[in-house]
Amino acid sequence: MTHDIHAYLAEFDDIPGTRVYTAKRARAGYQLNQFCMSLMKAENRERWKAGEDDYLAGWALSDDQKAAVKARDYNRLLDLGGNIYFLAKIFSTDGISFAEAVSTMTDMDFPTYRQMMMNGGRPPQGNRSIKGGW
Amino acid sequence: MARITAGIASSHVPLLGVAVDQGKSRDDYFGPIFAGYDWTREWLAASTPDVVLLVYNDHASAFDANIIPTFAIGCGERFRPADEGWGPRPVPEVIGHPDLAWHIAQSLILDDFDMTIINEMDVDHGLTVPLSMMFGQPAAWPVRVIPLAVNVVTYPVPSGNRCWALGEAIARAVASFPDDLNVQVWGTGGMSHQLQGPRAGLLNREWDNRFMDLLIGDSQAARAIPHIEYLRETGSEGIEMVMWLIMRGALGARTRLRHRHYHIPCSNTAIGHLVLEPTE
Ligand SMILES: [Fe+2]
Repeated sequence: MTHDIHAYLAEFDDIPGTRVYTAKRARAGYQLNQFCMSLMKAENRERWKAGEDDYLAGWALSDDQKAAVKARDYNRLLDLGGNIYFLAKIFSTDGISFAEAVSTMTDMDFPTYRQMMMNGGRPPQGNRSIKGGW
Repeated sequence: MARITAGIASSHVPLLGVAVDQGKSRDDYFGPIFAGYDWTREWLAASTPDVVLLVYNDHASAFDANIIPTFAIGCGERFRPADEGWGPRPVPEVIGHPDLAWHIAQSLILDDFDMTIINEMDVDHGLTVPLSMMFGQPAAWPVRVIPLAVNVVTYPVPSGNRCWALGEAIARAVASFPDDLNVQVWGTGGMSHQLQGPRAGLLNREWDNRFMDLLIGDSQAARAIPHIEYLRETGSEGIEMVMWLIMRGALGARTRLRHRHYHIPCSNTAIGHLVLEPTE
């Protein structure tokens, strides 16, 4: 068990296709995630649906974050500090299931992704380490 | 005296709650998942505990990005099902056990666990889905519930060893409560799943089953599994399994298996379920 925070965090960057929600990301994404959280309220969802630009104007998001929200680019939103449980408020408001939203972050369309899950999911082999390739 | 009589581990996928609420739990997709809980439902009906200390995590429902308690214990009288974006689940209110909860909170703090105390919070699928899996759709839950919420979202989350040690401290706290209460500890979440990024959809049947093996008997090996191993082997959300270790720690030196179930997939997730009893 490592107790060196630098070594602990560095290992996270060796996992393929994964953004671990570290303090650095939580800090960068604080306003983004709080914006997402605001969509938990029905009246806010109505305002959001009536005009995304007007709604976003009330939040201190970066231009990149705003553009990624509007594009529903979830991989980009993860890079910009979004956390999936918060981002879920956006796709839930869009009426999209968790599995379908998740599939948009992979290189598969939803039917192909769903079939992969029915077949036992994505295998760990080759997906554990970038450097090691195992 | 209060005593811990059993531990239950279970996944808490939101889609399972949808299946129960919409009456789909015996269809082709969900049937094999729910069949693995039949034994437990019958066993619980015959030996219902007084209180369940239910270890789970909040999924951006009661807690936003502002305040992130590592370990939070619900000491309130009652907890409402959370509105997770589609309105609250049509399930009964969760009735707490403030006397025992406050006793545990005080005991844990004296025992060097710096708990966050919550009086009012709504509880999301992490807590209500396991109740539905074990009890079905009663008009009122047949047990009192003490919610114990763990941060498994923002890193660093607590270590497996710390979770196990918290379970051990919970056992000491329960044992010093004067009322005669039958208490179970449930650890929820997991098993392997990744809900984000290009690697989403990762599942690991072999690792999950080895993890379940480690919770049966007297092995202490699971407490040393580092975060990076959960992340690499079981996906970014597989880290929820550290919450199972709080349950395991609360059962003492040795456990015996009463029931075990594993099924792939439920949406993005591997379903795992254990019923364990402490042995001398
Ligand atoms: Fe969860």
